[in-house]
Amino acid sequence: MTPDAILFWILAVVTVVSAITVVLITNPIYSALALAMAMIGISALFVTLNAYFIAGVQLIVYAGAVMVLFVMVLMLFDLRHELQAFTRGKISGAVKIACVGMLAGLVVGAIYMSSSSLIHASAAETMSSVDATKQLGKLLFTQYLFGFEALGVLLLVVAVGCVALARSKGGTHEHH
Amino acid sequence: MSITEMITDVGLDHYLILSAILFVTGMAGVLLRKNAIVLLMSLELMLNAVNLTFVAFSHYGGKLEGQVMVFFVMTIAAAEASVGLALIVSIFKRFREVNIRFFEHLKG
Amino acid sequence: MNQPLILAILILAPFVGFLINGFRYKKHSAMVSGSIATGMVFISFICSLLLVIDLIGLPDETRRISVSYFDWIVISNFKVDMGFVIDQISAIMILVVTGVGSLIHLFSIGYMAHDKGAAKYFSYLNLFLFSMLLLVLGSNLLVMFVGWELVGLCSYLLIGFWFTDAEKAAAGMKAFITNRIGDAFFLLGIFTLFLTFGTVNFHDINSMVPLTAEIAWLAPITLGTLFLFIGATGKSAQIPLYVWLPDAMAGPTPVSALIHAATMVTAGVYMIVRLNPLFLAAPNTLMIVAIIGALTAVFAATIGMLQWDIKKILAYSTISQLGYMFLACGVGAFGAAMFHLMTHAFFKALMFLGSGSVIHAMHEEQDIRKMGALKKYLPITHVTFFMGWLAIIGIPPFAGFFSKDEILWMSFHSPLGHVGLWAMGAFGALLTSFYMTRLMCLTFWGKSRVPKEVHPHESPWLMTVPLMVLGLLSVIGGWIGIPKVIGENLGELPNILEHWLEPAIKMPAMTAAEPSTEWMMMGISVGLALISAAVAYHFYVQDPEKPKKLAEIFKGPYKLIYNKYFVDEMYFAGIIHPFVKLSKNIWYYIDVNFIDKTTYVISDLVRGGGTFVRGIQNGNIQQYAMYIALGIVATLTFILVR
Repeated sequence: MTPDAILFWILAVVTVVSAITVVLITNPIYSALALAMAMIGISALFVTLNAYFIAGVQLIVYAGAVMVLFVMVLMLFDLRHELQAFTRGKISGAVKIACVGMLAGLVVGAIYMSSSSLIHASAAETMSSVDATKQLGKLLFTQYLFGFEALGVLLLVVAVGCVALARSKGGTHEHH
Repeated sequence: MSITEMITDVGLDHYLILSAILFVTGMAGVLLRKNAIVLLMSLELMLNAVNLTFVAFSHYGGKLEGQVMVFFVMTIAAAEASVGLALIVSIFKRFREVNIRFFEHLKG
Repeated sequence: MNQPLILAILILAPFVGFLINGFRYKKHSAMVSGSIATGMVFISFICSLLLVIDLIGLPDETRRISVSYFDWIVISNFKVDMGFVIDQISAIMILVVTGVGSLIHLFSIGYMAHDKGAAKYFSYLNLFLFSMLLLVLGSNLLVMFVGWELVGLCSYLLIGFWFTDAEKAAAGMKAFITNRIGDAFFLLGIFTLFLTFGTVNFHDINSMVPLTAEIAWLAPITLGTLFLFIGATGKSAQIPLYVWLPDAMAGPTPVSALIHAATMVTAGVYMIVRLNPLFLAAPNTLMIVAIIGALTAVFAATIGMLQWDIKKILAYSTISQLGYMFLACGVGAFGAAMFHLMTHAFFKALMFLGSGSVIHAMHEEQDIRKMGALKKYLPITHVTFFMGWLAIIGIPPFAGFFSKDEILWMSFHSPLGHVGLWAMGAFGALLTSFYMTRLMCLTFWGKSRVPKEVHPHESPWLMTVPLMVLGLLSVIGGWIGIPKVIGENLGELPNILEHWLEPAIKMPAMTAAEPSTEWMMMGISVGLALISAAVAYHFYVQDPEKPKKLAEIFKGPYKLIYNKYFVDEMYFAGIIHPFVKLSKNIWYYIDVNFIDKTTYVISDLVRGGGTFVRGIQNGNIQQYAMYIALGIVATLTFILVR
């Protein structure tokens, strides 16, 4: 067993367990924590795939900024008693789970069916780490420049929008 | 491929199956949870699974476009999460509840 | 001369009049519309004169003018053309129809002078004349049927002319519906004949008739002619379909004169005469025709004896006289039937117009119990009516004598005749004389029972001139058919009509007649007429109490006959009410219960379906997401499984 394989399996188990925890735990704070753990797991998986820059960005943006945002919002609410965590109605719930299961089955089946035509890269074809970031940067600033700039505008709009939406006219706590 | 090979030879399918499981888990969360914030969190999980798929393909296919895609997806996901949370804050300010079972006003 | 053109003008002139007056239907002026209408009919009359003159010029064997304008129906080997034929028989008809028609149109101008719907009236009248010409001139059964139906329609329009009165409108409907029943049988007749002969053309059918007569009752020709005859009973008011004619008196009097005396009701007789070889090949049918004709003649005469409305008396008289015409056809005396048709047109139209004049003078009063001694107020009307009276009761040398006598003689002498038929005919003549004299007595002679407010006055010239012309014709009209026994004694006067009709009419072989028998018959009929007239005069002028006492004594029969033998009541109770009830039940059980309920069920289903589908949108966004997921699963399955 190569160290890569061991690493992959450990990270895979961690990530999946965290993901399941996100869905199943009723307390939203614990859910948020589990999600952060999953994100870290995914970032590590990026590293095993030699996408170091992306791994870093994942940690900074997702585990760092987005999860903090989630936790902050959770902080604003008084959620000591969750009245109803899961969807009501047993039949619709069963249908949903069945649906989900079937989707999983289908995708896995699809992957198996097409596994022969999927690309199996040899080590020689994979990118070398040092060049990867440089080349990613080059791509972003030449070929996908328009998208990159549009992203910037999007972030500006989103920032303004969020502030406009969440402006406090009424506070989040009871007025006394 | 025998079972041992499947365990020892980690290839593209493993990453794809892993990402499928994560995606499906996220979808289950979107369908089943009633708390709006947990709903958004599950949505983030789905997006992350997709990111994993892109990066796996980028690695095993030898092209960098996958990572460029991930770049974009991440940014937009973050933007969307912030807007969603801002909306939830407004809703809470108005209704003092974030459980979506109270928000079935658009009945036919 | 250009015969197709003149024939076209002949037929279409009244139609043009119908259109012109139809477009101006809101106008009130009877003078203008009446002049247009009368002018058109007069043009037709001139055209018919021209064509008949042409016809006279042709030799006996080829004496027909036949014009075919275009092919009307062409279906593989079934061809019907819009063809018209003038031969000896239709020549008489068109002269009578257009001639008497123009006189009646002229009379109508005066009669309808104050009516608001005058233009409409004249357009209907012209349409009627057009239809009648189609009927008479058609060269095949289908063109005749078109005319047949159209005259029925015009009859409905004209009888119910004052349709705002419910009773009058009902009378129009009764006429039309009774006619339609007859028409259904007429159609059956056409079908049967077509099946038998493969053509509906008169000339072809008449030449294809087998030489031996049919004996069986269910043979094709017998059945076909029987059906046609039932159609004729509808149009010509015989038993059993006569009930519409007395009610039809609700229409304006000139209408009664034209349609119900002179022209439309004679259509049945004309049809039988047209197809005389065919009917001669079906002696069973002829027997039925004769019996019904004789029965109707007597039956209607008995009812006419007790009526008080002047027009109803004349109506029953018409039914009775038509019975004579059918009796003549039934014994094979088709020429006599045509003769009587012609003379009857003259004197009956005269009497109807005369009664119109009387009604007009009496300010729309029609009950003869309120009239009397009108001869000093209405001299011209009285004189002309007198001439018509003499004609109808059969006094020589007036027209009615010759024609009626011919019929009575033939019913006795013809191989298809029977002494019983003659007896019924003679009895009918007796009754005819009685009730017509009664009419004269109560209307024109005797003591005046006119109410104080009414001041009768003679009618204007527009109305009296036609009366005078028809009066003249009633006198001399019979002289073209003088029978041989009289003619040879008066210096070899020929029987013009008989010679004229001979080539066109097949008659059964007759034995030679003893002149003394003929004289005796003539004497009997004239004698009966005179005796009956004298009795009536005694009853109604000299001793008015006597009829009242007789009515008291014979109360039962009096009531029966006075109520027209309750025939209308029987029809209503036996046929019409059950039908109406059946329709109501069908409507209720099928339409309301079944069909309506089906539509309700369908609409409820749709609404239920909609409500159910609406329930999918319940505001629960996780449900919506579930549907999306289901969709994705389904699509993926579909793609992967393929």
